[in-house]
Amino acid sequence: MNRSVHITDYALVTGLGCDVKTVWSRLVAGDSAIRPVEHFKTTNCLAKSAALVNDLPCQAGESRLYPILEQLLEQLDCVPQSARLITATTKGAIDLLENDCQHHGQVSAAAAVVPSSMTSWLARQLDVDDNGININAACASSTLAIARGAGLIAHGVAEVVVVCCADIVSEFVLSGFSALQALSDQPSRPFDVDRNGLTLGEGAAAVVLMSEDAAQRYHRVKHAEVCGWGAANDANHITAPARDGCGLIQTVRQTLNRAQVKADEVAAISAHGTGTVYNDMMELTAFKAIFGERPLPISSIKGALGHTLGAAGGIEVVLGIASLNDQLVPPTCGCVNPEPLGVGQISATAQPFSGDLLLSTNSGFGGVNAALLLRRGQQ
Amino acid sequence: MMNCNVAGFGWVAVDGLGAGKSGTFHGFTAGELAPVTRQDLFDRPDRRFGRMDSFSKLGLAAITFALRDAGLEEWQEKRSVGILADTFSGCLQTDCDYFNSVIPDEGVFASPQLFAYTLSNTFLGEAALRFGLTGNCQVVNCCADDGLSVIHQAIESIQWGEDERVVVGFCELSSNGALNAPGALFMVLEAADVARSSLMALTINQQGAMSCHGKSVDTVTMLVEVLAGT
Repeated sequence: MNRSVHITDYALVTGLGCDVKTVWSRLVAGDSAIRPVEHFKTTNCLAKSAALVNDLPCQAGESRLYPILEQLLEQLDCVPQSARLITATTKGAIDLLENDCQHHGQVSAAAAVVPSSMTSWLARQLDVDDNGININAACASSTLAIARGAGLIAHGVAEVVVVCCADIVSEFVLSGFSALQALSDQPSRPFDVDRNGLTLGEGAAAVVLMSEDAAQRYHRVKHAEVCGWGAANDANHITAPARDGCGLIQTVRQTLNRAQVKADEVAAISAHGTGTVYNDMMELTAFKAIFGERPLPISSIKGALGHTLGAAGGIEVVLGIASLNDQLVPPTCGCVNPEPLGVGQISATAQPFSGDLLLSTNSGFGGVNAALLLRRGQQ
Repeated sequence: MMNCNVAGFGWVAVDGLGAGKSGTFHGFTAGELAPVTRQDLFDRPDRRFGRMDSFSKLGLAAITFALRDAGLEEWQEKRSVGILADTFSGCLQTDCDYFNSVIPDEGVFASPQLFAYTLSNTFLGEAALRFGLTGNCQVVNCCADDGLSVIHQAIESIQWGEDERVVVGFCELSSNGALNAPGALFMVLEAADVARSSLMALTINQQGAMSCHGKSVDTVTMLVEVLAGT
């Protein structure tokens, strides 16, 4: 028997601020967090800017990851000790490897670089009994982490699951996307006809998932319900999406089926919207196949907050709660002339909508696709 | 109680590599892995294989052998089969190789080829496209000592109807992972009602305890012993 899964607490850290209220209000106002990268040289990178978290108290030789996570945890209420822990990151404290390679020519801090080191750190900080797992599925990592947590609760395996996700802007990642020719030299313009690549970002998010019983027992507000989730692989290419959107279509259909809702009931979409030519077209193709000609509002936050990789889905879920509360999809920053498939659905200004269901999707390297369906909860 | 069948398994260890039913699997031991070659896996030339990093070749090899052992290597249409892989170090060696291509000349010669393999889940994408697997594909970095979280996740995925089949296992170039040795081990798990041929049963009881082929399995090492005993 499936039990309902509720988001009872949430937090985020992004380049637009370190609390949900600030980030949401700035996002809706059309602000962008994209600014020049100064913590490493970008001389030979296609892009010299990214959406960075401001004023990190980070000493030389330390990772940017942990100051971001500290700011994240400050926002969370106490998590029950019995909570399961699921984290999501693609590269964790990868900047420690940069230091090692540059100064020693080898990795001396391997245990600190691997993703599970973030999980172990969070387990200690949150003081939960569970050792936790980290999910690494490229840019869909945190979406899949929330899906896994929701599954554990829905099927009665867990009562409380805390999901934390984070990724940072590093020389490693920026140079890599630059080498792949995936970066835009200007702030990214998701879904715009003239988009030419992504802009990286950094940030973190946390959501606490609880069963109905646990939410009552711990007297928590049910901010939203995770009522559907799905995942599928394109089985097409390791760094490019299937142009027909087959994997995303399969994913969204799974998600709607699990939630037992019809496509017509979805009120808005928080898309992956990276600003790359192929990703954005693939998404619009998939959405058209599922939702038809209905002028469903679609948004991407990556023109403002950058592409935060493994943290993207978690950040988008937290902002999706704000979106449902305010019945407003945020601006798709940089989208001046939407792709013809998205005309009337995507806007550089915030769009009002009416409804209780928001679909959030992510796709990534390795052909992964993941989706979550959020139902509006108590404000 | 949750049940599923092990339809086959594949492995790459210091002392060899192969599909489970070949009967030469003795478990994992310390030492140095021999590089996996295309000829170890495929009869025909394979353009993609030569591009892959060592971690991906290792994982792809064990997945290939597992699917072959289960009779699922050949396919006509894409299939809803998931892949779950546990690793500790993942592609850390590839990360180093990539970043060492960045350091000289401040990134002018950063390798896009290597960067594509600096995600630990890339080899799952390689397996998915090669074998037409469209299920949930993800790497799980387990922090618990028993290392069995990923197996639990695979069984639950089948039990909950998310995938009919899941290829699940472990992949590690170093000795730091759940196998306690370099190597890779993948199993094809499938729901009992779709099973075409069952090597053995894998079960989780109501207390969460796992057993394989009727033997209690508390750690990955114990699971390996059961598989080696077949």
